[in-house]
Amino acid sequence: MSETVLEIKDLSVRYEDCDVEDLQVMDVSFEMKKGEILCIVGESGSGKSTLIKAIHGMDRTRVVNGTIEAFGKDMSGLSKKDRRTLMGTDIGLIPQNPYSSFNPIRRYEVQFKEALSAQKMEYDKEKILSVFEKIGLHDGERILKCRPYELSGGMNQRIAIAVAFLFEPDLLMCDEPTSALDVTTAGMVVDELVKMKEEQNTAILMVTHHLGIAARMADHIGIMKNGRMIEYGPAKQILKNPQEEYSRKLMEDVPRLKR
Amino acid sequence: MNVKKQILKKIIELIILLVVLSFLTFMLMYLAPGDPVEKKLSAQGTAISQEVLEAERERLGLNRPVLVRYAEWFAGVLHGDFGVSMTDEMPVGPRLAAGLSNTMVLALSSLIVALIVSIPLGILSAVKQNSILDHIVKLLSFIGNALPNFLISVLMMYLFCIVFRVFPVVANNSFNGLFLPAISLAIPMAGRFTRQIRAEIISQLDSDYVTGLRTRGVKEKDVLLRNVFHNASPHIFTIIALQIGTLMGGSVIIENIFRWPGIGRLVMEAINGRDYTTISGFVLIMGTIYVVINFLSDLLQQSMDPRSIS
Amino acid sequence: MSKRKKRQKIKIIIATIFALIVVVVGALANFIAPHDPNATNAMLMRKAPSAEYLFGTDNMGRCVLSRVLDGARITLASTFLLVAISFLVGIIIGMLCGYYGGIVDTILMRIADLMLAFPQMVVAIAVAGILGGGIFGAMIALGITMWTGFARLARSHTLSIKNEPYITAAKLNGKNGMQIIFGHIFPNIVENVLVNALTQIGTTMIGLAGLSFLGLGVTAPQAEWGSMISEGRAYLQLAPWVVIFPAIAIIITIIIFNYLGDVVMEYRRMD
Repeated sequence: MSETVLEIKDLSVRYEDCDVEDLQVMDVSFEMKKGEILCIVGESGSGKSTLIKAIHGMDRTRVVNGTIEAFGKDMSGLSKKDRRTLMGTDIGLIPQNPYSSFNPIRRYEVQFKEALSAQKMEYDKEKILSVFEKIGLHDGERILKCRPYELSGGMNQRIAIAVAFLFEPDLLMCDEPTSALDVTTAGMVVDELVKMKEEQNTAILMVTHHLGIAARMADHIGIMKNGRMIEYGPAKQILKNPQEEYSRKLMEDVPRLKR
Repeated sequence: MNVKKQILKKIIELIILLVVLSFLTFMLMYLAPGDPVEKKLSAQGTAISQEVLEAERERLGLNRPVLVRYAEWFAGVLHGDFGVSMTDEMPVGPRLAAGLSNTMVLALSSLIVALIVSIPLGILSAVKQNSILDHIVKLLSFIGNALPNFLISVLMMYLFCIVFRVFPVVANNSFNGLFLPAISLAIPMAGRFTRQIRAEIISQLDSDYVTGLRTRGVKEKDVLLRNVFHNASPHIFTIIALQIGTLMGGSVIIENIFRWPGIGRLVMEAINGRDYTTISGFVLIMGTIYVVINFLSDLLQQSMDPRSIS
Repeated sequence: MSKRKKRQKIKIIIATIFALIVVVVGALANFIAPHDPNATNAMLMRKAPSAEYLFGTDNMGRCVLSRVLDGARITLASTFLLVAISFLVGIIIGMLCGYYGGIVDTILMRIADLMLAFPQMVVAIAVAGILGGGIFGAMIALGITMWTGFARLARSHTLSIKNEPYITAAKLNGKNGMQIIFGHIFPNIVENVLVNALTQIGTTMIGLAGLSFLGLGVTAPQAEWGSMISEGRAYLQLAPWVVIFPAIAIIITIIIFNYLGDVVMEYRRMD
């Protein structure tokens, strides 16, 4: 299968309340097929999170130039409502700081019901609990009765990941999904993501500053600096033989997680 | 358990605050310059000799120590007895109660009008931030907020009674309709509410959780009503509770313009007649209502947003 | 970002220019006024606006324009004086409380809490009423509760900077508490409290005008916008200009100062 899921062409993005010339993403192009993991690596401020936000059309991002096509649909041409219906089961997102991606003062139970019903999915408690187990959340019954503000950052982050798993999207975008997790749990999450790709043929777009994570799961790697994608290619090639000076420096700086 | 303890502690604080409030109110009356007895007697045309004054003071119990008088007054207040008027020696309590109920009618109707206007406008202009609608709402609420309510009532009288002749102009410029006084009170209040509700909804919309909900495909209606408005409502209650004080002050002015038989008109009559008993009764009642409303809004905020318990 | 800030700065400059115009007009009221604001003339009762009397005359034949100008003087002077005194009292108490802490802090802040427990305008009406009117009575009545806001703000800012290295350095250099408070803390927090004071001008004006309207502010025959409107409404049908012009004056002035406060606050939030 080599069906194209996401196609980005000459994309330039800025934030709504910033000046016109102040672009966060410049001339970025790439393509993702089903069952492919693309990791975009860069320092903070390189524009990698903005890229994900722009694909969602959220957080006041403005596409200045270029196109975003998901499942053959031009995203910027979609109405707000049509775009919203794509979210969840078609395009999933594990946002940056996922521990603040839930309403802090409503119980998880109602929030799960709300999200599932928006996707026209059944609220199946057993299924939720089993997804929780996979990423090390053992006290699922209690968690569902809790409000997000009562739980730790790492717990909330894993719950956000659990929702993404539950939706089984065709395209999953992850923005630093393991920022609040310890190394072991982060490893568990990465393994589950890889398993998801293998079992469900999910395309995963992962944004991280952690080259080690990219090395462990990526099929393709893109390296971003100052809003530009300065290097893009198969993971092995990029890791072994980076072309750009900056990429080489990045490889040296980051301690690699060995397979 | 812990929550119960906290509530109990708050109730005790509230009671202490109310007692202190009553003491300060009493001192206001005690320290007031000018001699109400003299004023009363001279108004009645009685010859005022030093002995007459002294006898009258003695008869009214004004010569006893402050604390004794305070204790007696406070004990009376607890039974609804606010003392007798210094102008005609009639009990003040029933008059205050009658005035208060009229004031309540006026205040509540203007509050309801203000909320009916400002909640939808505040939410709408926050959701459609920077749209034309938002700019219009911002401008209107800014102007509403800048208008003193006495001015609004006088201008409305001019417009409705003289220019448009919707309401009859009564000889003394008064009419008993609730409409104009309630609207006069409601306009500046609606301006403030709209501004504050808009700001609160915007700050909720900017929260990360809203993005989270949207990326999970939750319908915008649910995002707004079941999440954003849900989270904002305890703050909106606080905003309302804090405006009650301004509403009380405004209602004194409006009642006097429109001759509304409320507690505010009563107090202005009392001020002109140096009737300190009525004035202090007014301050105590208004202060108590204000304190209790803010206490309740605190409790409500905590029950709706358990994070704020600490 | 910077473009928005620049635009905001222009808004502030424009608002400041308007505010200054109002202040200058108020200050020069006695020179600009075409007539004596208090001179009555039985021949000129309730004359409509004309070339001679631009804003017409009131029930006693007084020039409404001159009275509006004279009212500007009184309104602005009393508002600024009240805000300034409350600001000074508040900032000094706030700094003392924040810097020294302890029992004095507890007591003063309790008093501030108590003041906040009363609705401000209710207290103001009662106190002004008991003091028997007069502009100073009205100012005291509003000032009783007004200082508390400034004190709380100054206190919290003092608390947040009192352990900064430069304060510690000043202590080590042997400076005493008063020198530190007025030499180091004051210059660092004054801007924050001053901006808050700016936003209070409009509300204070509304409060003072309200008291005057009730007859608890300036005493006759002194002109003041609130009391002019109060007097004029009795013959509103015969001479609407007596009410309309002071009403326009008060609305414009409050809008200018509220707008100035708003744009300055927004500018500071952009940092």
